[in-house]
Amino acid sequence: MQINKLNTHIVPQKFEYHAPKTLEAAVELLSVHGGEATLMAGGTDLLVKMKQRLVETRHIINIKNIEELTRLERDVEGFHIGAATRLRNIERSELIRANLPLLHEAVRSIGSVQIRNMATIGGNLCNASPAADSAVALLVSDAEARILGPDGARTVPIEEFFIGPGQTVLGEDEVLVEVLTPPLSGNAGTSFVKVGRTSLDLATVNIAVVLRKKGETVADCRIALGAVAPTPIRVRRAEELVRGREMTRETLEGAADIVSEDIRPITDVRAPAEYRKEVSKTLTRDALSIAWRRIGGDTD
Amino acid sequence: MASQNDFHILGKKTIRKDGIAKVKGLEKYASDIALPNMLYARVLKSPHPHAKIRFVDVSEAEKMGATAVTFEEIPNLRYCPRLVSTPEATYKDWRVLSGKPLYVGEPIAAVAAESEEEAQRALETIKVDSEVMEASFDALESMKPGKPLLHETVILEDDEIGIENNIACRLEIAEGDVEEGFAESDIILEREYRTNRRYHNQLETKSVVVNPEPGGGITVWSTTQTIHNSRLLLHQIFGIPMNRINVKKVALGGGFGSSIHTNPVVPIAVALALKAKRPVKLSYTREEDMHDHVSYQMIFRLKMGASREGRLTAGQLDAILDIGAHQIQAYPLLGCVVGWWASLYKIPHKKYVGKAVYTNKVPSCAFRGYGNPQISWAVESLMDELSEALVIDPLEFRLKNYVGKGDIFWGQGPTVKSVIQSCGVEEILMKGSGIIGWKSRPKPGEQKGRYRRGIGLGRGFHTSSAGAPVPSTVVDHGGAMLKINEDGTLDYITALMDQGGGTLTAHAKIIAEELGVPLQNVNVVVSDTQTTVYDVCTHASRGVYAGGGAAHKVARQVKKKLLEYAAKVLDAYPHALKIRPDEEQGQGIIYAEGVEGKEITVGEVASIARHKNWGTVAAVESLRQGSCPPHFTGYFVEVEVDTETGLVKPLRVVAGADIGTVINPTLAAGQIHGGFVKGWSMVTLEDTPYEPETGELMNRGFITDYKTPSSPDTPKLDDFVVFFADTYEPTGPFGAKGIGEGALNPVAGAVANAIYNAIGVRFYELPITPSKILEAFARKEG
Amino acid sequence: MTKIEFTLNGRRRQLDIEPNQLLMNLLRERLYMTGTKYGCGIGECGACTVLLDGEPVLSCLTLAVDIDGKEVTTIEGLSEGDEMDVVQEAYLEEGAVQCGFCTPGFIMTTKALLRENPDPTEEEIREYLKGHLCRCTGYVNIIKAVKKAAGK
Repeated sequence: MQINKLNTHIVPQKFEYHAPKTLEAAVELLSVHGGEATLMAGGTDLLVKMKQRLVETRHIINIKNIEELTRLERDVEGFHIGAATRLRNIERSELIRANLPLLHEAVRSIGSVQIRNMATIGGNLCNASPAADSAVALLVSDAEARILGPDGARTVPIEEFFIGPGQTVLGEDEVLVEVLTPPLSGNAGTSFVKVGRTSLDLATVNIAVVLRKKGETVADCRIALGAVAPTPIRVRRAEELVRGREMTRETLEGAADIVSEDIRPITDVRAPAEYRKEVSKTLTRDALSIAWRRIGGDTD
Repeated sequence: MASQNDFHILGKKTIRKDGIAKVKGLEKYASDIALPNMLYARVLKSPHPHAKIRFVDVSEAEKMGATAVTFEEIPNLRYCPRLVSTPEATYKDWRVLSGKPLYVGEPIAAVAAESEEEAQRALETIKVDSEVMEASFDALESMKPGKPLLHETVILEDDEIGIENNIACRLEIAEGDVEEGFAESDIILEREYRTNRRYHNQLETKSVVVNPEPGGGITVWSTTQTIHNSRLLLHQIFGIPMNRINVKKVALGGGFGSSIHTNPVVPIAVALALKAKRPVKLSYTREEDMHDHVSYQMIFRLKMGASREGRLTAGQLDAILDIGAHQIQAYPLLGCVVGWWASLYKIPHKKYVGKAVYTNKVPSCAFRGYGNPQISWAVESLMDELSEALVIDPLEFRLKNYVGKGDIFWGQGPTVKSVIQSCGVEEILMKGSGIIGWKSRPKPGEQKGRYRRGIGLGRGFHTSSAGAPVPSTVVDHGGAMLKINEDGTLDYITALMDQGGGTLTAHAKIIAEELGVPLQNVNVVVSDTQTTVYDVCTHASRGVYAGGGAAHKVARQVKKKLLEYAAKVLDAYPHALKIRPDEEQGQGIIYAEGVEGKEITVGEVASIARHKNWGTVAAVESLRQGSCPPHFTGYFVEVEVDTETGLVKPLRVVAGADIGTVINPTLAAGQIHGGFVKGWSMVTLEDTPYEPETGELMNRGFITDYKTPSSPDTPKLDDFVVFFADTYEPTGPFGAKGIGEGALNPVAGAVANAIYNAIGVRFYELPITPSKILEAFARKEG
Repeated sequence: MTKIEFTLNGRRRQLDIEPNQLLMNLLRERLYMTGTKYGCGIGECGACTVLLDGEPVLSCLTLAVDIDGKEVTTIEGLSEGDEMDVVQEAYLEEGAVQCGFCTPGFIMTTKALLRENPDPTEEEIREYLKGHLCRCTGYVNIIKAVKKAAGK
């Protein structure tokens, strides 16, 4: 970031602004303008990047007014969450809170009330920060990204959606339409935990966990972490360890150790890599314990 | 000793004078000022930490229609932006724009255009060719022989003096014989402490609007803590006569020391306005602001000795101040650091060596406490270590050694000494310790489990102004004007700025109290340099003590004159007349006690005076306080450390303050609340680290990575107890002292001691981050 | 240039603006309504908060084009003349205002909080106001003010 190009008072570039009312129109605009166009939903990431001159664009395509992108409903396929659905609406949705408590917990932890009134889940996913809170929750929820481009629609499992820091599988002319998540099957316990420097912060490390119980043992376990690798990641080796066992101190420690071995955190201005490794262990133990207790399990 | 009950209005909860405008969003700050025909300015900042500029090409910008100034066109002189010291103690190494930038962000050139966007575009066309030079980012490195000098010479008063080893200035003081003192000690501890480099993060970024007046003068609205020193400096730089420079008061969106000096944006905007012959507005972005000023980072080598009985015997302090690329007030700070150190506890034999060192980083300026938070953290930590080694209760140890009533107090350094006449330290410590449960606090390092709680104590003080019985190297005086209008209302005119603490409301209350008029009758005028007499600055916690002192002085004069006039009307003796406020009538009532029918309102007297051509009842006075009495504070803090994440939470705070007479109880408590959160933040969060390869701030100036607490990070309302000691300062207006800086100074020590109490680990570097806690804890347990 | 039509503090307005114009600057520079403040420009401090269709948003990250057809409420719109809004009064009475720069933002979000949750707990108040930084008050008197306003 070159010091004399930064100016957060204003949006320094001039651009053309489009506010298509349909998905087709949005895709059309993207294919016409290609790499010179950027989609905008809430603007809380995009405008900051433009002020920091990390993004230079000639066309902004505002997709907030497109009805198909603000669906928030359940049907036989599962829960459809339109990409342009504001985080605050997800937070307030009884449907989500009752059926996707993990996503609810993750979304509630993002930014401030003001940010959540503006930002969207699509924006959070497409910005593709390795620390994206909603991404970490969706990673353990069997979620799918539904995408539309000029060549048609495609579906990508959320785990394959992120390919690097700030990078997704979306082509230049593709739009993330919605996230589809199946209902959390019976007797699942979830937990989302986030650690930052203050209560208003990006995650230094975050974690999402889903557990299913059978008697006293873990029938199924999913663990995902953010801010500890180039993308949010599942830690399958830890999941395998936990599956089939009782949630003892030993299990918790074992899972924590594997997580800290398998993640690849970096040192940045927020925290050293070593700290992230240590805290990942704590968060693994904490999240597993909380999720387990939420479905009536005992932890010693 | 007067108690709060004896006052009409002092000590009562009132609405602050500027409050209505502020809650309605109608209060104007410098960054809000807009004038017709105004240009918007942007500053070209050095991308290198140390360079010699070969050329700057602004031709493209000028072709676009922008006005541009470069370092080649500004007055060729060096100045000191802070004019609180007397000339013989003033070091000058600043230029309006630099041809040899010494830190990333240093202004080299500036443009003004019709809009901010145009100015930005013009800025980006400027071409600069520089010869990049070696830079130093550490004070100890800077001093090594062979390191390139940031400044070959600086100007002291009017003489050019050479700089060696990048040492900007130094100070050595000794009292008694340290060697003897240490020889007599039963225990000696020596530690090294390194503070963080905190940024003020005052909510309003540095801003200025300059209007060139017909005839060659200028009017200036700026973020300032001193309109008169701003005017004086602009006169020194540009040569404009002072009666043609008018610096106007506007509200300041947070100072904390960042505008004691005239901010660099001000002379830059003046240069642009004079060239463009149009009004110019220059308002920094947040990222520019973070490259503009920062607190003083300090490295201490502190050695203290004590006797078995728990009395301090000797102390040695070696202080290195990392002042960044330029001096703002490094030399007086060297004196203040030893002053603070010498005034916390009685140390019979002491030696101090202080050095201020240049580094290629953002220049340091005063930050609430002016070195006192830093040295108090070190001393309070060491006092706890000493008491542990001596097996004496840390509270007892402080009570045995603190500098208090009757003691000589070094105030703002060795040239500003006075005797303490009011002191509530015992009350603060005894009462506070009871409330927090000091006696039942845990033993450090004996706790088990993940969450560990600890209680820590930190006590301290700050001067109320820099007054003294004789002149010193610190200018400290201020004046005020007061007049009674023909309806009995008053206009109070002072140059003293209110940074938010409510000092001007306190002045109004002092005037209302002295004159016996309802508070609403006292109007605080929004003035400027043309219509006020000199006031040095709102700093050094002098607003109420010195500024309010001047208000009191001028109120007494006005009262005298008023009663003379009233006596004429009532046919009574002026010295026997009294005044009482009548809220219903909305007037002060002048009366002769015990005599019926001898009563008249202030308004009636003023009206009669007008008809009878006696003249306005008014006065103008200046006041130099003859001392700078310490206001004392003590914090008991309970923390909870999560030993598995390293995160620390503030659970409970018990804070006691001795500020003499309490004038604005809610605002005084507000200073304590704000001081605590700043101190908390100082210990746990703040720092501005640099990238060693580029000399750039790692966070690029974005507060995304300059964290300060949000409201959920602070204690619950019920868990934050504030109380005021019952004291009266005889030299203060109605017994009042200051509070602003005392509210912050001891907090870091209290928090650090609480962390030690919780997990048995001490830290000698700030901030104490979760990462450092986990690491240290693991080493200790494992 | 685009034309936008919106309601500002209850009054219908029509303006021609550039797409890259921020709502914050539209208010402060074009309309001289300087109660809304610039504190950081990147959404971290809350000083620029206004209500958009009643919800608190950050005007430093809102393009003016996006307020077309919407209702904008700023601090100036809370009370007229000598009147005081109940939240403004509470902030004054509780000493919640020091330098005052963060105050308008805090008050706007407080308005939204109390409309949504007329009797919030202390924890809920702190969480709702999380997006606002204050460097002066330490938040204590602000929380007290919100509680007082809720009680009125």
